Amino acid sequence: MISIENVSKHYGSFQVLTDCTAQVKKGEVIVVCGPSGSGKSTLIKCVNGLEPFQAGSITVNGVSVGDPKTNLSKLRSHVGMVFQHFELFPHMSITDNLAIAQVKVLGRSREQAMDKGLKLLDRVGLKAHAGKFPGQLSGGQQQRVAIARALAMDPICMLFDEPTSALDPEMINEVLDVMVELAREGMTMMCVTHEMGFARKVANRVIFMDQGRIVEDDSKDAFFGSPRSERARQFLARILSH
Amino acid sequence: MYEFDWSSIPGALPFLWEGMKVSLEITLTAVVFGIVWGTALAMMRLSSVKPLAFFAASYVNLFRAIPLVMVLLWFFLIVPQLLKSFLSLDPNTDVRLTSAMVGFALFESAYYSEIIRAGIQSVPKGQVAAASALGMSYAQAMRLVVLPQAFRNMVPLLLTQAIVLFQDTSLVYVSALADFFGAAYKVGDRDGRLVELLLFAGAVYFAICFAASQLVRRYQKKLNAHVAH
Ligand SMILES: Nc1ncnc2c1ncn2[C@@H]1O[C@H](COP(=O)(O)OP(=O)(O)O)[C@@H](O)[C@H]1O
Ligand SMILES: [Mg+2]
Repeated sequence: MISIENVSKHYGSFQVLTDCTAQVKKGEVIVVCGPSGSGKSTLIKCVNGLEPFQAGSITVNGVSVGDPKTNLSKLRSHVGMVFQHFELFPHMSITDNLAIAQVKVLGRSREQAMDKGLKLLDRVGLKAHAGKFPGQLSGGQQQRVAIARALAMDPICMLFDEPTSALDPEMINEVLDVMVELAREGMTMMCVTHEMGFARKVANRVIFMDQGRIVEDDSKDAFFGSPRSERARQFLARILSH
Repeated sequence: MYEFDWSSIPGALPFLWEGMKVSLEITLTAVVFGIVWGTALAMMRLSSVKPLAFFAASYVNLFRAIPLVMVLLWFFLIVPQLLKSFLSLDPNTDVRLTSAMVGFALFESAYYSEIIRAGIQSVPKGQVAAASALGMSYAQAMRLVVLPQAFRNMVPLLLTQAIVLFQDTSLVYVSALADFFGAAYKVGDRDGRLVELLLFAGAVYFAICFAASQLVRRYQKKLNAHVAH
């Protein structure tokens, strides 16, 4: 489904990604972790072309992301993305947040889009908030709306960039629960997260990044059992100690 | 001791109202055109297409470096001639109002574009990323996501600029166009009651601008309450 081959990227002389290679098969859940600044967000943004890269290639469902001839908007419309800071549109109601791209990008009718939006809102447990504005919801609720908004586009896979790291601790689980359910339904997912409980529960593989390189790409049992690199060991020890 | 005599005002009210309509007409055209063209300039200036950004920056810097009254004078002296020869109008057609509107609109666009540019930049980058990630084109992301938020934040500044603009319309006196100020001046001159008429005109400008500023402040309070959740 997602194939990342030898991708490198630099900002001026600063190398952000070096020779990254990874595959995500249909229905797989991949967790990406690593210290802050290691290039996780950059890598995941390369997958849907939000960040350009200078070397290597990425294909999503057979479509080459780096190819200038690729219609990136079309590709992105069926690759869902969830951001650390939710990025709901604050000037629109929750229903409009859910409907706008369905109508303007996919060309669905407003009724169809509303209908679909409300179903997904119900699924993330927020139907009662349909008429509100994002600013009236808690962080956890906003992030669940953001997931519903991405799902409304019928994505073929979902990208998550630290979806719970901006949340108060008591709200993390309500978001993770939605993600776990999604994973169990067979959604292909690439998740940047430090929630190791989530990784243990649903991940097929764990990718560990450090200084722009993919240092480990292991099954979760191997990763949690005996990480091969010293950096990953230290990282795990630090993460799991709190 | 100077004896005030206000008696020439009531009879002149219809004429003064005609002048007020000219002032309001110029203000309104300049605001509408200024916001539309100013938005275009702001987007050019922020675009990655170098020639567009250069053009917009030069335009803005040029107009902001010239006094408004000079711009107006040029427009009164040059544009009417051009308009008449281009549109082959009768040399006696009065195009002073049109050229005043054009002059103000082009001048104010420079100021509006700076307000709008700041407004666009005040919208977090993540909003564009989110819109793009949903498959929106750059134009859709601007139109549906960035500009509505930018304008909502900018309304107070845009209105304040409109109030300044309304006051500045009095500068059209350089072309002897009878805007509100010009009309008051003419009446005062005719009746030898310049002091009264100018005091009256000042009071009207003050009342309108003060009331408008109060409205802007009320809106701003509401906006702040809304944004602060
Ligand atoms: N626009 C940019 N210009 C220059 N450097 C950047 C830019 N964006 C990110 N970086 C750098 O790239 C590195 C990787 O960033 P990021 O992918 O956000 O890391 P992570 O998500 O793992 O914390 C960081 O060192 C960051 O400072
Ligand atoms: Mg990050």
